[in-house]
Amino acid sequence: MNRSIVTVILLIGLFYSLIVVAAGVSTWRYPDEQQGYSPEQPIAYSHRLHAGELGMDCKFCHFNSLESRHAGIPSTDVCMKCHKFVTSSYEVLKEELDLADKEKRKPKTIISDKLKKLYASLDLVDPKTPNPDAKLKSIEWIRVHNLPDFVCFDHSAHVTAGVACQKCHGPVESMEQVRQFESLSMGWCVKCHQESTENGINGKAVHAVRDCAVCHH
Amino acid sequence: MINEANKPESLHHANESGPPMDNAIIPEKDLFQLNRRRFLEAAGFTFSAVALSGCTRPDPELALPFAELPEGIRPGQKLTYASSCVDFPSGCGLLVSVRDGRPLKMEGMPEHPLSKGGLNAVAQALPLGLYDSHRLKNPLRLGKKSEWKDVDEAILKTLSSVKDSGDAVRVVTPTVTGPTLKEAIDTFLKQFKDGSHITLDTVSHSAILDAHEKTHGARVLPHYLLSGAKVIVSFGADFLGTWISPVEFTADWRTNRVPIEDDPQMSYHAHFEGRVSLTGGKADRRYRLAPDEFGTVLNHLYAMLSEKAGKKVETAKLRKSPIAEADLTSLAERLWDARGESILLCDSQDVAVQVVVNAINHLLDNYGKTLDITKPSLQAQGNDREVLKLIDELKAGKIAALFVAGTDLTHNLPEHGKLAEAISKVRLVVSLNERNDDFSSIAHFVCPDHHLLESWLDAEPVSGLVSLSQPLLQPLGNTRSILESFALWSGNKSSAYEILRTSWEKNILPRSKSKSFRKFWDQSVHDGFIEASSVAPKVSEFKTEAVALSPQAKPDEYCLSLYTKVGLTDSRHAHNPWLQELPDPITKVTWDNYVSLSPTTAEKLGVSDGDVVSVEAGGSNVELPALVQRGQHDRVISIALAYGVKGTDRFAKIGPQWLESRLTVAEGELVGKNAAPLISTANGSLSLTRDDVAIAKTDKRHELAKTQEYHSMELPKNIAPYGGEYRDVVESTTLAAYKDDPEAGMHEKHFDTSVQLWPDDHPKKGHQWGMSIDLNVCTGCSACVVACQSENNVPVVGKDEVYRQREMHWMRIDRYIDGEDDDIQVSHQPMMCQHCDNAPCETVCPVLATTHSSEGLNEQVYNRCVGTRYCANNCPYKVRRFNWFNYSHEDSLVNLALNPDVTVRARGVMEKCSMCVQRIEEGKIDAKRRGVELTDGDIQTACQQSCPAKAITFGDMNDSKSEIHTTLDNPRKYGVLEEFNFRQGVSYLRVVRNREEGDSGEGGHSNHDAHKHSEVTPSNSNNIVNLDEKRTSETGGKHV
Amino acid sequence: MSETSPLRPALVTGDKSLGDITNDISAPMAGTPSPLWWAAFLIAFSALVLGVVAVTYQIATGIGTWGLNKTVGWAFDITNFVFWVGIGHAGTLISAVLFLFRQKWRTAVNRSAEAMTLFAVMCAGLFPLIHMGRPWLAFWMLPYPNERGSLWVNFKSPLLWDVFAISTYLSVSAVFWYIGLIPDFATIRDKTKPGLRKTIFSILAFGWDGSARTWLRYETVYLLLAGLATPLVFSVHSIVSMDFATAVLPGWHTTIFPPYFVAGAIFSGLAMVLTLMLIARKTMRLEDYITVKHVERMCLLMLSMGCIVGLAYGTEFFIAAYGGNAYEQFVFMNRALGPMNWAYWTMVTCNVLIPQVLWFKSVRTSLPLVFVITIFVNIGMWFERFVIIVTSLHRDFLPSSWAHYIPSLVEIATLIGSFGLFFTLFLLFCRIAPAIAIAEVKDAANVKKREILLEARNEPPQIIDTDPIPANVDPSMGC
Repeated sequence: MNRSIVTVILLIGLFYSLIVVAAGVSTWRYPDEQQGYSPEQPIAYSHRLHAGELGMDCKFCHFNSLESRHAGIPSTDVCMKCHKFVTSSYEVLKEELDLADKEKRKPKTIISDKLKKLYASLDLVDPKTPNPDAKLKSIEWIRVHNLPDFVCFDHSAHVTAGVACQKCHGPVESMEQVRQFESLSMGWCVKCHQESTENGINGKAVHAVRDCAVCHH
Repeated sequence: MINEANKPESLHHANESGPPMDNAIIPEKDLFQLNRRRFLEAAGFTFSAVALSGCTRPDPELALPFAELPEGIRPGQKLTYASSCVDFPSGCGLLVSVRDGRPLKMEGMPEHPLSKGGLNAVAQALPLGLYDSHRLKNPLRLGKKSEWKDVDEAILKTLSSVKDSGDAVRVVTPTVTGPTLKEAIDTFLKQFKDGSHITLDTVSHSAILDAHEKTHGARVLPHYLLSGAKVIVSFGADFLGTWISPVEFTADWRTNRVPIEDDPQMSYHAHFEGRVSLTGGKADRRYRLAPDEFGTVLNHLYAMLSEKAGKKVETAKLRKSPIAEADLTSLAERLWDARGESILLCDSQDVAVQVVVNAINHLLDNYGKTLDITKPSLQAQGNDREVLKLIDELKAGKIAALFVAGTDLTHNLPEHGKLAEAISKVRLVVSLNERNDDFSSIAHFVCPDHHLLESWLDAEPVSGLVSLSQPLLQPLGNTRSILESFALWSGNKSSAYEILRTSWEKNILPRSKSKSFRKFWDQSVHDGFIEASSVAPKVSEFKTEAVALSPQAKPDEYCLSLYTKVGLTDSRHAHNPWLQELPDPITKVTWDNYVSLSPTTAEKLGVSDGDVVSVEAGGSNVELPALVQRGQHDRVISIALAYGVKGTDRFAKIGPQWLESRLTVAEGELVGKNAAPLISTANGSLSLTRDDVAIAKTDKRHELAKTQEYHSMELPKNIAPYGGEYRDVVESTTLAAYKDDPEAGMHEKHFDTSVQLWPDDHPKKGHQWGMSIDLNVCTGCSACVVACQSENNVPVVGKDEVYRQREMHWMRIDRYIDGEDDDIQVSHQPMMCQHCDNAPCETVCPVLATTHSSEGLNEQVYNRCVGTRYCANNCPYKVRRFNWFNYSHEDSLVNLALNPDVTVRARGVMEKCSMCVQRIEEGKIDAKRRGVELTDGDIQTACQQSCPAKAITFGDMNDSKSEIHTTLDNPRKYGVLEEFNFRQGVSYLRVVRNREEGDSGEGGHSNHDAHKHSEVTPSNSNNIVNLDEKRTSETGGKHV
Repeated sequence: MSETSPLRPALVTGDKSLGDITNDISAPMAGTPSPLWWAAFLIAFSALVLGVVAVTYQIATGIGTWGLNKTVGWAFDITNFVFWVGIGHAGTLISAVLFLFRQKWRTAVNRSAEAMTLFAVMCAGLFPLIHMGRPWLAFWMLPYPNERGSLWVNFKSPLLWDVFAISTYLSVSAVFWYIGLIPDFATIRDKTKPGLRKTIFSILAFGWDGSARTWLRYETVYLLLAGLATPLVFSVHSIVSMDFATAVLPGWHTTIFPPYFVAGAIFSGLAMVLTLMLIARKTMRLEDYITVKHVERMCLLMLSMGCIVGLAYGTEFFIAAYGGNAYEQFVFMNRALGPMNWAYWTMVTCNVLIPQVLWFKSVRTSLPLVFVITIFVNIGMWFERFVIIVTSLHRDFLPSSWAHYIPSLVEIATLIGSFGLFFTLFLLFCRIAPAIAIAEVKDAANVKKREILLEARNEPPQIIDTDPIPANVDPSMGC
């Protein structure tokens, strides 16, 4: 008699705990795992447009990655290389030009709202007219790929070795809003180091060290 | 460059999200934004809390790029600027590495003619002084925060009235070598009828200059060229530690101290001193001699030498020499044989004595060879007579305006009370010191100067060598360059940069060969220094008539000897915790000054370490803990200056605070006590030695925090096993023995280190990093200790923790004192992780937090460590350091001094020397980036880089061209505890003392003596060997 | 079951019937606890609370709250660990080993010995955990799948072996103890009236029906477990000893440690069992079951173990001298004559000298004396571990690193706390489970056999008092 009661209780308990676990697993993440993280940025900068459609090279803006540990979010003056002139989308500018032609006047500079934020950082009203006593202000981008501080990752080392940006950052050229594509977990790094030591990086033999102190010091 | 707008990423990071430490643990990371400590407490009890918190998304972290990228800046990249250490008259060459606008690390400049790439501990600690939140950020008026224009207005107003009345104006500074600053001060003083610039040094070398005025007709300080000296005799001159220009002297001294197999030559260095100094410890023969008897001995020495020169000198009147006749004669012999290649140094502040010194150096024909007075040194210009005159004038109320810069006047002079009162009578008292020190607090105005790393300045340490110091970041506070201040008060509104440029165009350019100023200037800024023609006063021929042997006064019961510590050469640095926690190289005491006594004297007074004694002299007395110092002269009482500095009570809570913790600085006290009141102003000099001193025991106690508890290689007599009475971890031999057998002194090892159980464990392919330390030239100056602390974010733990033997220094310097009291041998041994191939620590870590790298490094992974401390227990060298607490990183300004390449360790993890692996990685990546092979010297560890004696060699042992590779087969090479077959990556080079076998005291222990014999003659070595065999098979036996 | 000669003196005195035995032993669980029990419990519990506070503070603040330093990295923590593991040993030894050797007298003590093992190992297990700098990461010691790629645990590390050894030991001795309890739980189940208590005990009894078949299975399982537990007695402490033996530190690095530690462990374990037995005997009125004879036998065991330990001490010195390793020689000179020699001599006195009085039967049979001796042995064995760990560490290879060691208040409080935990658990155990194995005692008591013998001499069987509550036991009297 007692025995059956016990068995029943045990079975029910087991059943429920199983359900709970099953439900948990689906949403469960390793501590600090950031895969898929894609915060909204202060300026809706589109990598799809720049890197994808316009086919700009990553290192054109992220030139810092060639020489430094940080790939570096480009400083505003890098954007200004183009956006000094490109103040709005092509259609809008075209329309204004035609209109100006028709009305026989100098075309007005039309500035899209997006880009106003950009110019604000350099304290410019009209990108074409420099502002000598500008109060400079950094654009407050939100960090997407953020390794813990006990990991030392050097971009230049990987770029020099010929690792493609996409290898770690995924198909950024197709992302409207940047998202962490890979897990960037230790296991993931080690795996790549192992593989590239065995197979080399696009034909070139490399020695990707797997000593702890390479990243942790 | 560091303003809100243009804040580079990582700097921003350092500010907003705290130092890396906060993120050192995965679970901690996410919650610490809420409150790290809370979290830790919670985490302590329940792991589930951690798991849960870990699964939540962290707050978004901002990444702020520049708005406009400054020229030549690459975020995250290190830039190096040439500068020079004008804070110290020795004026070493600096290479400052700057990352993201933060000066982070001081390095020596190898090209510099004086320092030759060396740097001392104090210079290494500069960054902490820069990021010191207690430096003045604004000018003060009567102690209140004020504005520059108000202050200047007021000062100029008073000055104009002084101008009219024609009263006296005085500017007091420590030795100023910079021509531009000199000029600025002079132009300022020219405005007044009675204006003069007075030089006050903490340790005055006035007597040397005065003596030369007598003997050579010009008040000059010779430029000592130790590189040319085969015989060095020093009377109390601590030239390797603190005397005039130690870094330069160490580099020069080294050149003759490295015996080579095929030409085993070494300079001979005899040292006479009362206290035990760094230099005395390195001497081949050290004689105990109280400073007040230098004169007597020198007189006798002079007599002997002049006899050799064929000139009889009457010695009947002289007091009997306290040093044995025989020793003195043999010394005279050595000196005479090395005429022109010898040098006699003396730190006596008695002009008469210094005259005799000059006479001897003249007899020995050293002038123009080892002493240069045509291009004299400008590193010490203090003039005691002027200082004393100033004091009298002040007391007499003759001074209308007093300007003090770079020295804490009232702290560094005796009779504090009288002086302060006298100064209060002065109409205008201005301090240009960078903090609100003792003098500033009684000054009407404080016009804080920039920190060295914020200012344009120049220096001319030795006539004909002019160096520049350039600013490396925007001033952190609203301070003003001393150049600008004096210029402005002389009616010149230009910036320091302009002042410097114009002065160089006007004064320095003509002295150089180049024509175009633009090129000349750019080159100078790039190099940091230039060689120019000398503008020294004319010196006459030696005036023999000046020399007169005067019988010395009869010495008293005790002799007080004040000195400055290697780590704390000046009260200005007392606010630097790195230097306060740096163990004194000889006593190993931190966070205190003390009264050093010889064991005999201590016994006589019935005191032991930590018993407070009261020292009374000239009406003022100081109460300090006693320290029993082997090798100290029985009559000598020595006390360090530059302690008891106002404001150092700030360090009371610098260490972790917990249930049983004690304050670093007791309530209402300061770090140490100021010994300046004991300075004697008798016979026209600021004398640091005096005989009229009384000492008495009190019933108080004051514990001293030492980093070393046992001080000898000889084990305690009662428990030393037979044959194992002596642990020669620092192997030593004599030059004589080295000559017949370069491997002499080797602790014979009857074991086979070729035995390898798992040879495949260490294939030794690719790079194999190794280090070798030449103990023969290591002076123990401790520059490496601070260099390492600065490079590797080693925390300061405070006195109580040091007392509990928990200091965190990755690199420590073991110091052993052996031999009899009157002839001690001091051995220094830099000890850090030995990076063993068969590392005992690696096998025992349960979580693989410490492992061996393919490049021969022993790696410690902080974020993996769970803190069982098993590795530390199993480390034979005890070089592992455990984070007992979370050490304070609350001060976000000091955090700017943290090296972003090195993790700041959290509580509960083990840490240790990594052989600067961050530099190794950087070097390798850099080489790859440039597409070149790594060459020897591309990578230098922090300790190696700035070693003044170049004692440390680091490199790739597999690279046949590397220096380390060649040291591997140096006959002096040995490994500490080699017999255990740990196969260390760090090796040492044996000490060789230039002694005759006859010399007494190679340590008083049988087996060591046995060594000595076995070294001498191969014949009798045979019968000794058995004993050696026995002993060493004991030590090695287990592993055979 | 084995034959027992009627000539052999009975293990249970005072002519007990089976009923008596049951009642006597289960009595303490029935009534409300006595003031004596309460007093004991309150002391133990407050000690426990003190310990909890200390550990909480330590984990919140840092290991720095202990007296350790750069040279002495372990002290009280690992000393306590080894001490408690040692205590744990006698339990298994008595119940398993003596069971295999068919030592029936064990029945009186085995139950409490097993319980003791369990609690001691719990205390022991605590220390490796709290001695970590970051205990919340202790799970890294377990080989579990993770996302760190090649990174796992270090199977070379003796600490890892400890993790396995201790956990195995804990689980096996727990099972062994529980299996032993099942028939007694059944007995109590049958004695109690329906209600929650009954339900609980019926769950605990696993539906025991006392049928011959059940008994058969039970005996087999018990035998097997005994066989399984026995090697653990030796393996666990051998492995613990390897924490030291495999290190390079002179004074740790010796091959004698495994047997030396096992002997020491059993020694300390026996002492602790005796201490507890003597207390239990008095407080729970079990004089008839835990007889002087039992105590004397334990004493003999303890004496022999003491001598083995003494021999080990001697051997250590001999090997140091004979092996001629100057470092090792120094360590032992330093132990005996160095700054911490007081610890060493305390150890020698308590573990080697004092137990020698047990050669005298008069001492062995005088319970108060035995009690005092066991206390000494407990102290001595704690110091043995302290000496091995601290005196070896504080003066090792380089004279420059020699350091002093002074325990901090927190450390001492933690030690007290561990005793608190141990006794709290033990006292609770006395209340909820029979402190003596009823079934086994019955078997050992041979009541039936006695009746048969009496019949054979055709004398009327002695009237056996079947009153469920014997005169000499007051049901209200708890343990």
